[in-house]
Amino acid sequence: MTVQDDITARLTEVFRDVFDDDELTVFPAMTAKDVDEWDSLMHITLVLAVEKEFAVKLNAAEVGKLENVGQMVELLARKAA
Amino acid sequence: MHGTADSAGGSKAAVARAKAALAAGDHAGAFAELRAAIRPQDDFTEQARIARAFAKVDADALDLRPLKVAVLAGSTVDHLADVLRFWLAASGFAAEIYLAPYDTVAQSVLDPASGLYGFAPQVVWLFSTHRDVGAAVEPGASAAEVEAAVDAAVAERTALWQALAERLDALVLQNNADIPADDPFGNLAGAAPWGLRTALRLYNARLVAAAPAGVTVFDLDHVAGLWGRARWTDPRYWHHSKHAFALDATGTVAAAAARLLAGAMGLARKCLVLDLDNTLWGGVIGDDGVAGIALGTGADGEAFVAFQRHVKALKERGVILAVVSKNEEAAARAPFESHPDMVLRLDDIAVFRANWSNKADNIQDVAETLSIGLESLVFVDDNPAERDLVRRALPTVEVIELPEDPAYFVEALARAGCFEAVAFSVEDRRRAGYYADNAKRVELKRATVDMDGYLGGLAMVATVGGVDAFHLPRIAQLINKSNQFHLTGTRLTEREVERLASAGDTEVFHVRLADRFGDNGLIAVLILRRDGEDLHVDTWAMSCRVLGRTVEEFIANEILARARRRGCRSVVGRYVKSPKNALVAGLYDRLGFVPLDGDEDERRWSLAIADRPDGWKTHVRVETQETMKA
Repeated sequence: MTVQDDITARLTEVFRDVFDDDELTVFPAMTAKDVDEWDSLMHITLVLAVEKEFAVKLNAAEVGKLENVGQMVELLARKAA
Repeated sequence: MHGTADSAGGSKAAVARAKAALAAGDHAGAFAELRAAIRPQDDFTEQARIARAFAKVDADALDLRPLKVAVLAGSTVDHLADVLRFWLAASGFAAEIYLAPYDTVAQSVLDPASGLYGFAPQVVWLFSTHRDVGAAVEPGASAAEVEAAVDAAVAERTALWQALAERLDALVLQNNADIPADDPFGNLAGAAPWGLRTALRLYNARLVAAAPAGVTVFDLDHVAGLWGRARWTDPRYWHHSKHAFALDATGTVAAAAARLLAGAMGLARKCLVLDLDNTLWGGVIGDDGVAGIALGTGADGEAFVAFQRHVKALKERGVILAVVSKNEEAAARAPFESHPDMVLRLDDIAVFRANWSNKADNIQDVAETLSIGLESLVFVDDNPAERDLVRRALPTVEVIELPEDPAYFVEALARAGCFEAVAFSVEDRRRAGYYADNAKRVELKRATVDMDGYLGGLAMVATVGGVDAFHLPRIAQLINKSNQFHLTGTRLTEREVERLASAGDTEVFHVRLADRFGDNGLIAVLILRRDGEDLHVDTWAMSCRVLGRTVEEFIANEILARARRRGCRSVVGRYVKSPKNALVAGLYDRLGFVPLDGDEDERRWSLAIADRPDGWKTHVRVETQETMKA
C-alpha cells in the first residue's frame, strides 16, 4: 500500500465521521460537488478533523485551496514526508 | 460535568450507542450517551461529532424548556450555533437558534422588518468581540480622549439595547471585549493610558456599568482567559473565514453561555450536596478521629481548607449546603464542632445526613426536606463509585467529576458553572452581605497609604496556645520549614517539641492569626527557656505572610508577659545567622533590646523587663489566652 493509499483510507474514515455517512468512500477526483453537505462551513469542520487525524496544521492558504480529495492526499503526503 | 471523553474513540462509541438508542426510539437514552461523552473543553471535532448526533435527537422528547435564541455577530458563528444547541440542551433547554446573516448586527436590530423580529427570540446574543469595539485611540492620546472613545463604543451598544428593548421582550446577552493577546506596543498596550488593552479594559468596565436590567454582559474576556489567551484566536481561521476565536474553544464558549442562560431563566442549581471523608477533609473521620484527619496542616490539609472556603463562599452567595455522608452521625459532626481548621460549621449546613443508607436515597431525602427538585442539586463526592451510583439513580442531579488531588477540587466545582446567575435577587440577603464585604475590602485596600489605619482596619485577632495534638504537626512544620523569619534556625522533631513543652524550665507557645478577610492559620512558634532571672528566646519562627503587621510586637508583648509570670527580670534574645535569615538580623535592635555579646554570626540581646512597663504598640488583639503550663 502506498502512502497515498494509506492516506486515502484514513481520509475515508474522516469523511464518514464528518458527513455522518458510512457509505462514503473518497476518490482522488472527488470534490465538494460530490458530497451534498460539503459546503464552505462543512469544509472547515472537515479540515479540522483532517488536521486532527493526521496531526498536522494546514496554513491559511492551504485551507482554502483544497478543492478536491486528490490535492488533499498530496498535501498530506508532503506534510508526512 | 458527567463523563470524560479523552479520546475520539470514546465519543465515536458514544455516538454509535446514541444512534442505537434512537433506533429504539429512546431519545432520552441517546441524549444521556452524548452528554456523558463530551466536556466543554473538548476540541471542535469532538463537539461537532456530538452536535451532529444530537441534531437527530427529538428535543421535545427530553422534557426540556423551549428557548428561542438569536445570535447576532460580526464574525462567523455558524459552527458555534450547532454546538450551542447541544450545550443548551445540557443546561435544560430545547433551543431553536436563529443566526442573523454575517455582519448584519446593526441592520438586524434597527430594521423592524428584519428576520430577527420575525423569529421573535427570547434571548438575543450580541456576539461581539474586540474587533467590533471601536475603542482604539492614537498612541499618546490623553485620558479624556480614551474615555471619549470608550464611551462612544459603549454608546453604540446601548443604542442597540434600546432598539431591542423597544421591539422585543428578550434577554440580551452582550459580549464584552476579549482582550487580544498580541499588540505592537507589547506591555505598553496595557500600561499606557492610551494602550489598546487599557482602552478595552475600560470599555469592559463601562459596559457593565451601562447595562440596564434585561441586558447581561457575557464575560467573553474571562472565557478567553480561562481557555488560554495565547491560543484563544487562530488567525488562520480569521483570515480564511472570519472566525473570531479558535474553533477548538467552541465548546467552552457554548457551555459557558448555556450555563449563564440557565441562571438567567431560573434553571441554575440551588443546593450543593457534599460528601465528608476525603471531600471536605483528608482521611476517614471514623478511623482517624478529629485530630487525625488532614485539614489545615500540610499541602493537602490546606487544599481541603481552600475547598471549604470556596463552598462557604457559595453558601454566602445563597447556595444551600447539605451533607450526605456514610458515617456515624456523631463522628461526622465532630470536626464541625471541634476542629479548629474547619471553615464550614454545622449552622452552614441546611440538611445533615450521616448514616449508612445509600447516597441516592439520602440525596432524595435532602431534596424533599428542602422542598426543591432533584434538578436543583449538585453532588460532590471524591468516590467515583458513589458518583456513578448517583448519576444512574438520579440522572437530573449534577454530579461533579472530582479529580483525585484535593488541590483541584475548587476548579472542578467552579468550572462546572452550576450556580451561574445574571443578577442578584432581593431575597438573597446573604449574597448582598457578601458583596458588601467585598466593597469594604476594596475600600480598605485603597486606604493603605495610612499604615496605622490599614492595620487597625484589618481587625487582627490572635489566639495564643500551647502544644496539642491539633497544632503539633504545624508547630513542628513551622520550626523545620521556616527559613527567613527564624531567629536561631532551630530544627526540632515533633517528639522534641513535645518534650520541651512539658519540661519545667521551657515552654512552647504558638500564635494563630485571623483578620477580617480570613484565617491566616498558625503563624508563629516560640520556645522560651528560663535560666535564673533570665527568660531566653530559644526559638522564634514566624510565617513571612504576616510580616509588617505588628505581629512581632504582639509576640514580644507575649514574651514579656510570660517572663513576668515566671518572675524573670530580663528577656534574652538570640540571633544565629543562616543563609536566609538576614531579614530578622535587626529584629531585637528594632524592638529596643540592648546588645549583650557575640558577633555578626551569632549575637545576643537583653531587655530589662522593668524598662518596658507598657510593652510594644500592636494592632493585634488577643482572643483567648490559654493558661500557661506552670
